[in-house]
Amino acid sequence: MITRQFGSEVRWMLRRPRTLIGLLGLALVPIVISFGVWLAGEESGGPGIAAILGGNGLVVPIFTLFMSLNLLLPLVASIWAADGLAGEAQHGTLRGLLVAPVSRVRLLFVKLFGLTAMSLLAVTLMAVVGIIAGTAFLGTDGMTTLSGTTLGTGEGLLRIALFIVLVTFQMVSIGAVALAVSATTEHPLVVQAATMVSIIVFQVLGQFPALDWLHPFLITTGFPGLIDVMRDPVPLDQIWDSTLLAGCYLLIGTGLAALRLITKDN
Amino acid sequence: MNKRKASLAAAAAGVVAGAAGLSLLAMPAGAGQPPSLPDVSPESLVEQVLTSKPGAFGGTVEVDNQLGLPAIAEIPQLADGKHSARVWTDGAGKVRLALPNGQSEQTIVSDGTTTWSWNSVTNKVTKAEGKTEQPEEAKAIDPATAAKEIVGLTKEFSDISVDGTARVANRAAYELVLTPKASEKTLVREVRIAVDSELKMPLRVAVLTNGTAEPAGTVGFREINVGPQDPKLFEFTPPANAEVTTPEAEKGERGERPEAGLEQALRGENPQVFGSGWDLVVGARIPADAMTQVPAEAQGLVDRFTKKVSGGWGSGQLFTTKIATVLIADDGRVVAGAVPEQVLFDTIGQVK
Repeated sequence: MITRQFGSEVRWMLRRPRTLIGLLGLALVPIVISFGVWLAGEESGGPGIAAILGGNGLVVPIFTLFMSLNLLLPLVASIWAADGLAGEAQHGTLRGLLVAPVSRVRLLFVKLFGLTAMSLLAVTLMAVVGIIAGTAFLGTDGMTTLSGTTLGTGEGLLRIALFIVLVTFQMVSIGAVALAVSATTEHPLVVQAATMVSIIVFQVLGQFPALDWLHPFLITTGFPGLIDVMRDPVPLDQIWDSTLLAGCYLLIGTGLAALRLITKDN
Repeated sequence: MNKRKASLAAAAAGVVAGAAGLSLLAMPAGAGQPPSLPDVSPESLVEQVLTSKPGAFGGTVEVDNQLGLPAIAEIPQLADGKHSARVWTDGAGKVRLALPNGQSEQTIVSDGTTTWSWNSVTNKVTKAEGKTEQPEEAKAIDPATAAKEIVGLTKEFSDISVDGTARVANRAAYELVLTPKASEKTLVREVRIAVDSELKMPLRVAVLTNGTAEPAGTVGFREINVGPQDPKLFEFTPPANAEVTTPEAEKGERGERPEAGLEQALRGENPQVFGSGWDLVVGARIPADAMTQVPAEAQGLVDRFTKKVSGGWGSGQLFTTKIATVLIADDGRVVAGAVPEQVLFDTIGQVK
């Protein structure tokens, strides 16, 4: 029963034209990055992970996702969360779902599942296009890590898979909080604006050393640590911290959304 | 109706759990209960520190720097704050170091005969052959080596005691405390060395200075696993498209660096040493041509850092941190030490 609801939710999301246009846009990002690095030529070096992109096509998916996590992926998650509840409320279809003999908690889990499935699809799509574009434009010979070691292709793909899971989890956590906002309004734009403003404000707050007591509470603080996937051997503590931090947001977001949905009149 | 209440309670519990989790994550890791260990005499603990030969281990070292240096965008590593490094050693001369800096990383691998040094920022590998000594960087961040050096240099000039126990990187350790004797003119109040109760290896070194409760500098393991390490860690193959150079070629480029002159002078072949113990002062003379080579931009940096001073000895610039003072005279004489500035003014006249 619930699997059928899960399936229909994802099919419903995939049928929206803007979902497809959005996915297409996301797929363009790694192509543009690979093309840009290829155009810049063999010159390598520089700060951060961009330094090891030259001749190292398997790093493109990681680089793309790492850059997109700051703005693009939260935006996409907020769009899906906005469509999930506020969008349905706007079209009047949420009322039908709320009066149906289906538990509201279950309704929330269906929405959360749709968000997770679509996030995983989007992130995986970007990674796969990144692997292809990176290999095509920059060539590949295993995967050079930030530590200067070279991993075999198989192990490189495993790192990419790990990164896909980590980034998807961050996206779902942001989406869960956006779902909580989505449950309170019938204007999808409000949800998107609230989410994006929060993410940007968090990132700005993260820049001030004077506010360092606040930093451990901001989900954006966990983003940079995820790049540890590209070190060898992988240090797990920062990755673990970022994931736990996102997990807390997921709990809070889901809890608030459930509280609102259960108490909603109809 | 009951089901509704149960769902509401579960949702509220989720919110509370998430909020509690956030606060837990934000809290600094507590030191925990100090372990109870059998008593040891300070003398035997000092002996153990000096003779300990750490075996194979891998771990994460955290350097906490509260020297009170100004934050300068050009040299982020100097600014106050925490930096971590990962260290692996087989206990027999093979070492691997990973020094992350933001999203970049520097890796140094030494298999006893060849030292590879990789920097992701420059995409360059430096290969040094026939070097059997530990790389300079490994010495700087290894708490065991740092502790050994401090104890060796200062034990005759200190009151030594064992002040309870501590838990460092989840291992039980004794806290060995070296306090400079009253006759020592130094900025240092005490040095605390946490010595592993089993391995007798220093796990953490903290330097406390006069007038502050928090350590001015701490080097210690955050995490350590003792035992044989993966031998693959001590091998290094340069990435296919990285440039491989030798230290000689690298040095040619490095000679351009403005601070190289000062560094060379202080680390030079035969630095002049005045006094002994805690108020030991190191002196040197920077060659006149190195003094004039300093580019204007670097000079500006130096000026932001330092204070102009003058006296019977001449005039120059004074650079002060909580833990050390450096005096650079305008004629190229340099003295430095963990001492108040007056000691430097008194000593600089002896620099040849």
